[in-house]
Amino acid sequence: MNEYEKEEPASRRDFLCGAAQQAAGAAIILAFGEQLVAFSEAAAGETAATAEASAGVPYDPLKHRYLYLIDVAKCIGCGACVRACALENDVPDNHFRTWVERYMVSRTGEVTTDSPNGGKDGFEPLLTGQDITKAFFVPKLCNHCSQSPCVQLCPVGASYRSPDGLILVDEKRCIGCGYCVQACPYGSRFIHPETHTASKCTLCYHRITKGMLPACVQACPTGARRFGDTQRPGDEVTEIVASSPVRILKPEMNTEPNCYYLGLSQEVR
Amino acid sequence: MEHTKHLWRAFLILLVLGVAGIFVRHFLIPESFGEQGFYRYTSLGEFKEKPVIHGAVGSCTSCHQEIADTKTAGKHASVSCEVCHAPESVHAAGGQKIADMPTNPSHTLCATCHQFLEARPKEFPQVDVTQHLIDLGVMAKGEAIPDGACIVCHQPHTL
Ligand code: SF4
Repeated sequence: MNEYEKEEPASRRDFLCGAAQQAAGAAIILAFGEQLVAFSEAAAGETAATAEASAGVPYDPLKHRYLYLIDVAKCIGCGACVRACALENDVPDNHFRTWVERYMVSRTGEVTTDSPNGGKDGFEPLLTGQDITKAFFVPKLCNHCSQSPCVQLCPVGASYRSPDGLILVDEKRCIGCGYCVQACPYGSRFIHPETHTASKCTLCYHRITKGMLPACVQACPTGARRFGDTQRPGDEVTEIVASSPVRILKPEMNTEPNCYYLGLSQEVR
Repeated sequence: MEHTKHLWRAFLILLVLGVAGIFVRHFLIPESFGEQGFYRYTSLGEFKEKPVIHGAVGSCTSCHQEIADTKTAGKHASVSCEVCHAPESVHAAGGQKIADMPTNPSHTLCATCHQFLEARPKEFPQVDVTQHLIDLGVMAKGEAIPDGACIVCHQPHTL
């Protein structure tokens, strides 16, 4: 129950109630009509209470459009972001809403990658036995794509793109079929072992709507992760994305991600 | 006309089915579905109501201004308190302390950022923790790193 529920001025329900009462000839319709009236009254009561409870929370999803920026050169692979995300969102063990990958590239171009426990406990020194010439960490999370395959194929309308530009899963609608988990080119989704519904990064919707930073961004000690809003005048992240050589992951998928990477090496998949 | 009765029957059945269909649809399609798109718009509000675990930026300073000032003057200025300690929600609620804030003196916490790794940016301060302790004579080769080894010399708040 929240401020997103609003009173419908002249809903189908009200119309039906009126119509049903007028059509007094058919007893069966009257029977339905009575139930409909009772139903609409209950709904109206709820809406009034909701409006009161949420007065003073002036967040309008239509006035924001979020984006995310990752500066690969700054990431030290500490995993603070992964730990913060898990605590903030009660992410089950061995599942990740965000994670950090390590890339080690040899002189001959061999790429070694690892992400032990999603980088949650940090990284141990790794000997690849190769002449490593380039090594870096790449934080990953849901790209909140503008053209997201997960939303397109959800059969029940549980996955959606919100007006503020986030890809979210309505837990109450999700039937746990797992199509979206397979469809996501970035591996950003998983089926929650307890709820058996699809689960994923929400960019900490419960925080950003209160003006706070997503937990991962706040936890990052080096500023490798940044969060912006294109609708905020003078937004720094929007400015960086607009004026710097940023890249997105898997552009060939045409998903139009809203997570941008600064200094991303071409080995990253 | 002898067929009128049939027509009326068919009409009535269709009417009943139609009304029943509208009625059932009402229960199957949740409120606010389709308001902004092919989804339940009210679910956005449900996301908003999830509990906040980590405090807002600067929420620790309302009680711990002194430590915050010390830390801000040092090299750990950009490290959020909750990264090394714990989320605010385990320690305070509604402006009141509810439990002690954990501290973690283990070298493994320091090592998550400062253990030398090839993949870390070169300019970031890092050290091979084991070798460093051997060089200092704190421990011998092959020994386990003693607990709290780092903070004997390095104070995280005043660095
Ligand atoms: S907290 Fe920042 S520096 Fe540490 S692993 Fe995450 S993105 Fe990298």
